Amino acid sequence: MPKPSLAGRLPSWTRYLWWNTDHKVIGLQYIVTTFIFFLLGGLMAMLIRAELLRPGFDLMNGAEYDRLFTNHGSVMLFLWIIPVLAGFGNYLIPLMIGARDMAFPRLNALSFWLIPPAGLLMLASFFVGGAEAGWTAYVPLSIRGPDGQTLWAISVVILGMSSILGAINFVTTVFTMRAEGMTIWRLPLFVWGILATSLLVLTATPVLAAGLILVAMDRLFGTLFFSVAAGGDPVLWQNIFWFYSHPAVYIMVLPAMGIISEVIPVFARKPLFGYKPIAMSSMAISVLGLTVWAHHMFTSGMDPRLRIPYMISSMVIAVPTGVKFFSWLATMWDGKLRINTPMLFAMGFMSLFVIGGITGIFLASIPIDLHVHDSYFVVAHLHYVLFGGSVSAVYAGLYYWFPKITGRMYDERLGIVHFVLNFLGTSLAYLPQFEAGLLGMPRRVADYADQFTTLNALSSVGAFLLGISTLPFLYNAIVSWATGPKAAANPWRALTLEWTTSSPPPAENFEDIPVVSSGPYDFGQTPAVSPAATPAGGS
Amino acid sequence: MNGRRIATVVLVAAALVGLGFLAARSLDLMPEQASTRAVLVDQLFRWLLGVATVIFLIVQGGLLYAVIRFRRRPGDESDGPPIHGNARLEIVWTLIPAVIVALIAFYSFRVLAASEEPEDSPLVVEVSARQFTWQFHYPEAGITSAELHLPVGRQVRFEITSDDVIHSFWIPEFRVKRDATPGQVAELLVTPSQIGRFAIRCAELCGPGHATMTSEVVVDSPADFAAWLAGQRAPAASGDPAQAARASFDRYGCYGCHTLADAQASGSVGPVLDGIGQTAATRVEGLQAQEYLRQSILEPGAFVVPGYADGLMPSNLGERMTPEEIDTLVAYLLSQ
Repeated sequence: MPKPSLAGRLPSWTRYLWWNTDHKVIGLQYIVTTFIFFLLGGLMAMLIRAELLRPGFDLMNGAEYDRLFTNHGSVMLFLWIIPVLAGFGNYLIPLMIGARDMAFPRLNALSFWLIPPAGLLMLASFFVGGAEAGWTAYVPLSIRGPDGQTLWAISVVILGMSSILGAINFVTTVFTMRAEGMTIWRLPLFVWGILATSLLVLTATPVLAAGLILVAMDRLFGTLFFSVAAGGDPVLWQNIFWFYSHPAVYIMVLPAMGIISEVIPVFARKPLFGYKPIAMSSMAISVLGLTVWAHHMFTSGMDPRLRIPYMISSMVIAVPTGVKFFSWLATMWDGKLRINTPMLFAMGFMSLFVIGGITGIFLASIPIDLHVHDSYFVVAHLHYVLFGGSVSAVYAGLYYWFPKITGRMYDERLGIVHFVLNFLGTSLAYLPQFEAGLLGMPRRVADYADQFTTLNALSSVGAFLLGISTLPFLYNAIVSWATGPKAAANPWRALTLEWTTSSPPPAENFEDIPVVSSGPYDFGQTPAVSPAATPAGGS
Repeated sequence: MNGRRIATVVLVAAALVGLGFLAARSLDLMPEQASTRAVLVDQLFRWLLGVATVIFLIVQGGLLYAVIRFRRRPGDESDGPPIHGNARLEIVWTLIPAVIVALIAFYSFRVLAASEEPEDSPLVVEVSARQFTWQFHYPEAGITSAELHLPVGRQVRFEITSDDVIHSFWIPEFRVKRDATPGQVAELLVTPSQIGRFAIRCAELCGPGHATMTSEVVVDSPADFAAWLAGQRAPAASGDPAQAARASFDRYGCYGCHTLADAQASGSVGPVLDGIGQTAATRVEGLQAQEYLRQSILEPGAFVVPGYADGLMPSNLGERMTPEEIDTLVAYLLSQ
């Protein structure tokens, strides 16, 4: 309970700047903080693409370039995509399952408050030599690097801790706090996505933390876990790192796919096609995702016989992913599509992610991987998955829940401008990179052979377009939040529980805890009713 | 399903497969094929590109069709039909991708096995990587070179290792790479099939000079290769000290980090050596040019030129180079 004396004296928005245990405040703290890191990481990307606009070392030397892309990758993954999705989880999970808050509100606040200091620690690494070994931090390079590498490792350990605490909270909340009638098979698919992700976080993140602590000990106390001279094995780090970092891709993608599963049925005005298969495919990806990590190591001289099982398990992931895509398409089939900004970003997600998914099959195929591994083909692939995929889904979610979170409507025309710029920028930035990689351009280089000039210039122009595309979004978000038209409780006529309460929801979410009697996507029933309460009239 | 619907499905499927074939045949995305492995890999790649095109078109086409065909008509506030799923359809779209994936895995396995098939009496070349150069040792001929020469048509067995951090030995025209890991020797089999010069690039981030850690492989006819080997075996001391110094500059990897026009080196990680004859005496007070150069080679950490990183230059050159080689190199650098 907040102290009434303090709350009485300060304007209400200041509660976002302090320790607060309301899951909606924490969710928004997550989303806004991580978006600032997204802009920072994007600024680094602009500098990287400016350097790569032409061959040669134009703006910086090799060490400076290494620092830049190391922090770009780390900020985008550990301080943006993973925590922003946790932010959505925080804001939405209690609302979606009909609870008043998360199971452990103080733990929840702690998971957020670990993020700003960890982020500052990571940025501080620039002032003590910088972290230069890439976000993959391969040993022995990361053990030889300057002091900044130690700060980087500590920062990632803290962020991992935040992620683990969040996952414990999500799993407990979903299993113990559901409203009456909210059975497992009535959970919204975003909740399924967060659940699958949390199980992965609980399994894999501690392994990364352990590995990073070993690296930090090698650096600080002269231990020899990875020292070749002392009989240590540098490839051990790759096993530890990818045991976390491949599942991390699914940590960054499963909640994003959950957002897509929320948006599509609402704007297609049809029930989600194949609810159970989609829910189960998230769980399947989460389990299979733990068995594929060594496909990042086909070139590393691992036991050649072990490569085949990893190739097969990696390719099998395409099957549950395909189930989701076909189900989404079938949901739209015969629907009554409203093509507004959240739906555009959801369809953009499908259009872009499928390219990332297909090229993943190329990378899993060992003979092709031995050519394109560590080339720009991989850079293009991972950006299609994480930018075209996860970030598109985050934008879809930001527009979709904007009225719920802020109580105001965003401007549709600016949203569409944002989508178009974002989609064109993504395609122009990343499509040429596939070809650069196939032709032989390695990743993580500040300079390249003249033959790659045109492809890189195109890619840089696309990246600058992406930078520009954030401006209409920022303008729209800030101005609409302040002065946009007031939003109804349920402007999209959606059926999940967060739309049955006011926009924004009151403290403790619901006046009366709803009783659930139907599924989250039962559109097309006559008359259309929400599961617990009559929805306010929509536009 | 009625007849018309079946006909539509068959027609669309045929059009998709046709477009897949077209993409596989007509898109040339790979560089030149310079090894027998490249031919196999490219066949697999083209086949996969065809499959990928079909999947790509199904999703993009489905999205576009939905936007055009299923867009809400103005004023229509009603919902679509309450269809929750279709077990038969769901089984089909789980099984077909599973079969496709199995085929891809099987074909990939076949190509992998064929491209790693050992042949009799391969040419052995030991590759050592270090920040930021490649060195090639031919144990049969007993020679070491900074440039890789290979005879066309004979299988090569590379034995790849690293002296410091992890690098990756990549020849894009051969379609293959292998990591160079300290403490390990990785084997790589490849048969060059095309005479010419092709780039060698480091694919694994190895430090600030990663981008410029490049070299060249020269694939020769067997006769040219034999001539090159013989030339390498002949004593380097042809009487021209500058020639000998330039050979040392290459052999010990100086070119990987330093720029020196006379030796055709353009590294960017270490200080520029053009004009070093003039500047050497000004670097450390009390050290003459010659003393400074000698110290810089033997104890690179004793003085680090401002703006450059300590710890990158190998500190064991005193053990690896002969005293004559050091003298010749210092004299050569003084003349620059």
